[in-house]
Amino acid sequence: MTNTRNDALDPTDPVGAWRTMRDANLDAWAKGMATMVNTESFSKALGIQLDTMLAASAPMQKMVSQYMESYLAQASMPSRAEVISLAQRMTNIEMRLDDMDARLDDILFAVRALATVQESTSVVDAPPAGDAAPEPDATPESEEKSAPRRGRGSR
Amino acid sequence: MTTVPNSALDPEVLTKRFFEEFDRLTKSSDTFSKLAANRLDIQIGLTPKTVIWSLNKAKLYHFTPAVPPEQRHPVPILLIFALINRPDIFDLRPGNSFVEYLLSQGYDVYMLDWGRPGLEDAHYNFDDYVLEYMPRVVRAAQRHSGKRDFSLIGWCIGAMITTLYATMRPDDGIRNLVLLTAPLDFADKNAGPFNRWLTTEFYNVDELIRQHGNVPGSMIDYGSKMLKPVENFISSYFKLWDNLDNPAVVESYMAMNKWVTDLVDFPGGAFRQWVVEFYRENRLMEGTLKLRGEKVDLRNLRCNFLNVIADKDHIVPTCQSVTVMDKVGTRDKLLLHMRGGHIGMMVGSGANKRVWPQIDGWLKKRSV
Repeated sequence: MTNTRNDALDPTDPVGAWRTMRDANLDAWAKGMATMVNTESFSKALGIQLDTMLAASAPMQKMVSQYMESYLAQASMPSRAEVISLAQRMTNIEMRLDDMDARLDDILFAVRALATVQESTSVVDAPPAGDAAPEPDATPESEEKSAPRRGRGSR
Repeated sequence: MTTVPNSALDPEVLTKRFFEEFDRLTKSSDTFSKLAANRLDIQIGLTPKTVIWSLNKAKLYHFTPAVPPEQRHPVPILLIFALINRPDIFDLRPGNSFVEYLLSQGYDVYMLDWGRPGLEDAHYNFDDYVLEYMPRVVRAAQRHSGKRDFSLIGWCIGAMITTLYATMRPDDGIRNLVLLTAPLDFADKNAGPFNRWLTTEFYNVDELIRQHGNVPGSMIDYGSKMLKPVENFISSYFKLWDNLDNPAVVESYMAMNKWVTDLVDFPGGAFRQWVVEFYRENRLMEGTLKLRGEKVDLRNLRCNFLNVIADKDHIVPTCQSVTVMDKVGTRDKLLLHMRGGHIGMMVGSGANKRVWPQIDGWLKKRSV
């Protein structure tokens, strides 16, 4: 910090005295305000202020909402509620797709593990005949990770 | 005792100091005018990362590891922040980034971004975030990392979500749970202004949700700033003015300001539950909280548990975080009192020397 607070007054600092006085006043004010906002009367006042604001905006909001719904219906356009409902349904579909994706990955992993077991069994049973193909590595860490789905990009 | 130098009243010294101050003011004015004209910008959240999963507005990021695989800890970390601010606070700036630090210590790091809720998300509450989103996030991280066990770090409301998740789904692979300034116990109605403001009979949360759907981020921001009105609305600007000629201070201010002003709405259902079931009725600590009809019993939390609290936290007083220590079922638990505020504890100037090494030291032993 270029200017650190220094309670010791430096007479060579042109604005030091002003800065010290300013900071002292702000500190005192801050302590007072911090105490005040933690009182029951302040919280009551804040609640009443919010309540008043909500009560004042409610009739206007209702009127605008009714007007817009009526207008959108006449214009054959979807209302806000309909768009919201559609978005919620899409999110549900997305969740189901995610679950299906996870199950497919589990199935794929199980199939690969089974294939690995079968191959190692067949290698044990078959007579030695020259070079054999290397066994696929089926451990989770070395398996190809599920490809990032749905076009995710790097940042 | 003030020691007055012999040259205190030397006109040459006084003149020199005056011109130094004038020079400082000139440089400060230049920076001030650029700030006022929005010509100074700073980027935050710069550590390279990739989106590996998404659902609705939520995105799960994987940070590019900093050490080779053979040197990494086998237990990856998943970072969960609050619903109402951006998670970039975990990765504020190069040199002041918890993510950067974790990567350098050899962890595989994932971070969830809850996104910005729209009106279609206003019905979401903690049941949805804990029982629908978190299991899917964890599953995605496990599939990507190839590891079942992981460490969960939750901050602020993220700490509440992770605590609930660890309690409800203890067998999902959570090895370690770290909470940062966790608001969990609201028994003391005099503990901090938030408790008073939200529990008063005059705070009509139902009408607020009915009219707005989601609680506007600006309203949350106003409430947070009113906890310390003079510091947030006046003193911070004076401090900035005093240090406009110091690029490091200006950059630090800009980064924090960028994060603070990036407001996110609070989903209506979650906000109503937060005020009524947590702040007013304290259901979690009373043992009466139910998510989707399932009772939340903190004794089911069996993973290793580290609870970090800040001694100067005016948003989450320490009393809201400590009582959970006696309620959790795990035997491996530790409460850490650290210096700092709600956010400053993790991104302040001393965080990388005081807090981060302690978290790393605790995690390292439990990530083998």
